[in-house]
Amino acid sequence: MMNPGTFLLIAAAALVFGIAAAFRAPRLWLGCTFIAAAAGLAGAAMVLFSGQPWEFMACLTLGSQPVHLRLDALSAFFLVLLVTIGAAGALYSMEYWPDRAHPRSAPAGRAWWSCLLFSMGAVLTAANGLHFLIAWEAFAVCAYFLITLDRQRREVRLAGWIYLATSHAGTLCLFAFFALLAARTGSWTIGPFTDASLAPLFWLALFGFGVKAGLFPLHIWLPSAHANAPSHVSAIMSGVAIKMGIYGIVRFSGWLPLPAGAGWTILALGAISSVLGVAFALGQHDLKRLLAYHSVENIGIILLGVGLAAIAAQSGNPEWGALAIAGGLLHVWNHGVFKALLFLGAGSVLHATGTRHMSSLGGLWRSMPWTAGLFTLGAAAISGLPPLNGFVSEWLLYLGLFDAIDARGPAAWAAVPAAISLAITGALALACFVKVVGIVFLGLPRSAAAGKACESGSAMRIPMLVLAAICAFVGLAPLALAPALQTVARAWNPSWSAIRLEPSLSTLGAANLAFLGLALLISWVLAGRVRKNGARRFGTWDCGYAAPTPRMQYTAGSFASTIVSWFEWILRPERHRVPPTELFPQTAFSSEHTPETVLERVIAPIGDITMRFSTAVRSYQHGRLQAYILYLVFGLVGIALLTWMGAAMFKGLP
Amino acid sequence: MSATLSTIAEFVVRVAFWMALAPLGPGIINKVKAWVAGRKGPPVLQLYYDLARLWRKGVVISTAASPGHIIGPAIAWIAISCAAALLPIGPFGSTVSFRGDAFLFIYLLAVARFAIACASLETGSAFEGMGTAREVSYAVLAEAALITALITLSVRTGSLSLSGMLTPFAGSGVMLIGAGLFIVLLAENCRVPFDDPNTHLELTMVHEAMVLDHSGPPFAAILHGSAIKLLLFAVLLADAVLPGLHLGGLGGMAVTVLALGIIMVGVGAVESLLARFAFRRVPLLLITAFLLCLFGLLAAWKGSSLQ
Repeated sequence: MMNPGTFLLIAAAALVFGIAAAFRAPRLWLGCTFIAAAAGLAGAAMVLFSGQPWEFMACLTLGSQPVHLRLDALSAFFLVLLVTIGAAGALYSMEYWPDRAHPRSAPAGRAWWSCLLFSMGAVLTAANGLHFLIAWEAFAVCAYFLITLDRQRREVRLAGWIYLATSHAGTLCLFAFFALLAARTGSWTIGPFTDASLAPLFWLALFGFGVKAGLFPLHIWLPSAHANAPSHVSAIMSGVAIKMGIYGIVRFSGWLPLPAGAGWTILALGAISSVLGVAFALGQHDLKRLLAYHSVENIGIILLGVGLAAIAAQSGNPEWGALAIAGGLLHVWNHGVFKALLFLGAGSVLHATGTRHMSSLGGLWRSMPWTAGLFTLGAAAISGLPPLNGFVSEWLLYLGLFDAIDARGPAAWAAVPAAISLAITGALALACFVKVVGIVFLGLPRSAAAGKACESGSAMRIPMLVLAAICAFVGLAPLALAPALQTVARAWNPSWSAIRLEPSLSTLGAANLAFLGLALLISWVLAGRVRKNGARRFGTWDCGYAAPTPRMQYTAGSFASTIVSWFEWILRPERHRVPPTELFPQTAFSSEHTPETVLERVIAPIGDITMRFSTAVRSYQHGRLQAYILYLVFGLVGIALLTWMGAAMFKGLP
Repeated sequence: MSATLSTIAEFVVRVAFWMALAPLGPGIINKVKAWVAGRKGPPVLQLYYDLARLWRKGVVISTAASPGHIIGPAIAWIAISCAAALLPIGPFGSTVSFRGDAFLFIYLLAVARFAIACASLETGSAFEGMGTAREVSYAVLAEAALITALITLSVRTGSLSLSGMLTPFAGSGVMLIGAGLFIVLLAENCRVPFDDPNTHLELTMVHEAMVLDHSGPPFAAILHGSAIKLLLFAVLLADAVLPGLHLGGLGGMAVTVLALGIIMVGVGAVESLLARFAFRRVPLLLITAFLLCLFGLLAAWKGSSLQ
């Protein structure tokens, strides 16, 4: 009898076997990872399609708690994403991070990869608060070792350290959260809670999970960690790991009684993250850092959906609440897929040229046509353009937002700004990805390295192709996902059982399909016409200038300068400029850099002050015995005074 | 099955109709400008001649450009046409209408922007870079205004489809929405005061600078696409503002044609009487459009809650 549990057991066994195989037999490790992914997918699919959660109580105990596992529709939904990206990234790493180039870190990276998949799977299936925390911590540590695979480089160590420190700040909150939960309910078991006095605990969970999700302004670890990790690690970090934070928020917003204003707060955080995330992305010149900020943006879009659904749950409006949660959760999948695709594409560029700096790239479509084409598809998908998957989830979200507005309840006051910020985010993301595609892949190479690039091999191309195919499939056949989305919406809020998403999704799928067909037809017609009329190649028109160089092309900084200037109040770009002087200027340059404002202008100064205070205090500990005796005398006098005065003060009290 | 076939047939006829009529718009605008300036001006059908000529011409492609240089304009062309076909035209209503087609409409226009922008960056020219950067930056504000206008229409009618939003009587706040949409029309179609379609100084152009290196049939596709986009925004504006459009039969048709004519003449008049704004003032005007739509939303909210 095959039940989800059997599949999960196979997956777990394959992952554990994979850890052992990682050091000696890379191909065996890859096979194990694929088996684990297939088994995990099968188990998750069974739960998603049947809607029946799978539960398992072992007689085994861990930390004096019985092992209790549960895979319901919501965790299965995230598990599908985990195994997809896990398998794609594993195949990619075979060529991207091979033993030849990295004799020490490649085997370790494979082992940590299996550990990461295992621990994230454990987070998704743990039904005991203590085990959840153990799995959560294991997952954070595995991610740390993967991010710092290349720890010879200083910036990698720094990024890893910031990640680890921030992640633990969040975990500390989660410790408090689960401990308080256990203290209040008397058991570590987690599940739906009905005790209304537990509601304030949600704020702790929101902070703890929000750090991992990277919502603004808790995203400080995210840009440097994603930029400096090897690209397949960036893909799983951005595609799946930060979604674990979303999983926590969604999970406990469904299980806990929500405090008043929780939905509004999530919605506001979502709107802020989406707009500011993409604004910061526009200011970046580092390809992977830019993609990392887009994760902040997309987490914001997901939270818009979750927040609106939470408002709906609190006010009892399942009609638009279900649309919102479906849109938000579908965006979890979509972002996981297209962001992994984009990071893998960026990894191919890095692999071929050795640089992430956009101003040294350009014209890569000629040498890397596959990467360029697939990256452009991912760029269109993340900008929310039809007929791809990003549009489907944003469309569901728009439906939810507009229905909330038309219902004229108090929620409309949240939904109007949310809808406007979603539209602005979409347009900004489009501007940003036009910049990326144009600067990196089009035009002429800006450096010798970019000119000598060559296409990556099949182990790197196949994962990208598969992810791109998923992007197209979800866009063209959204109806296929409707049952899964409905099951998940029901798992999140069981009272929303009569929700039907099919009618809207089927028309949208047909419209997307029709548009794709027409676009292919017209492209074919136009290309045929050009071929018939005859095409001639000639240099780009340059206003009659006689000695053009590739350096005269527009740069990433100049492309984004208009929008960056609108957001100057928060981006705080640092400009260095030597203007041209005299008639025949010798040196002149202008450069602009957008720092991580929250980290460098808020967190770092606070850290500095703390350090300075600690240093000042430390000078009182110098090892001179006489002074220590003096401290003791002062202390005793103080205690005596306190006792005497306290006794006098509280004399009248009972 | 036959219903599906007839829908498809009507859709195709409608797209053909849009494509056939769209080049009239710029012709009327140019005639008005010539008339105000006391010139004779080009014939109203000039754009038809230009398109026919470009369609027969050979193409010069930059050595840096990929096949996307030609595919981009094709995708933009069909995306704009599909967006246009979603719009209800006065008494004729719309062929394809479903809940949420309004968002498909906005995002199809975004597809067109993405495709043209990528196609123009193919050449690696700084002129195209400038034009593209301006186009995608200003579109952010224009899109905010457009979505606010859609929220207003949706609040007024309680509908999420374009035909539902645009059919009933316009109601309160209509002038605000109309003014906002008119500014968006000027911005999205790169008319004065945002951009001067007549100028040949590359540094000051937006849309024209984007397509400097296009020629032959792809350029025809771009020009025709912009003509359709102009007509599309004019129809959207007319539908959103005018109540009489929804009269059946000849009366409705006459009002529709009249309204579109007035809008085109209005664009021509603005173009004759105003100078192009400095670039730093462009965002201010677009924010004005956004605020107009936002006040329109408040008016619609208030107005329909009193009923």
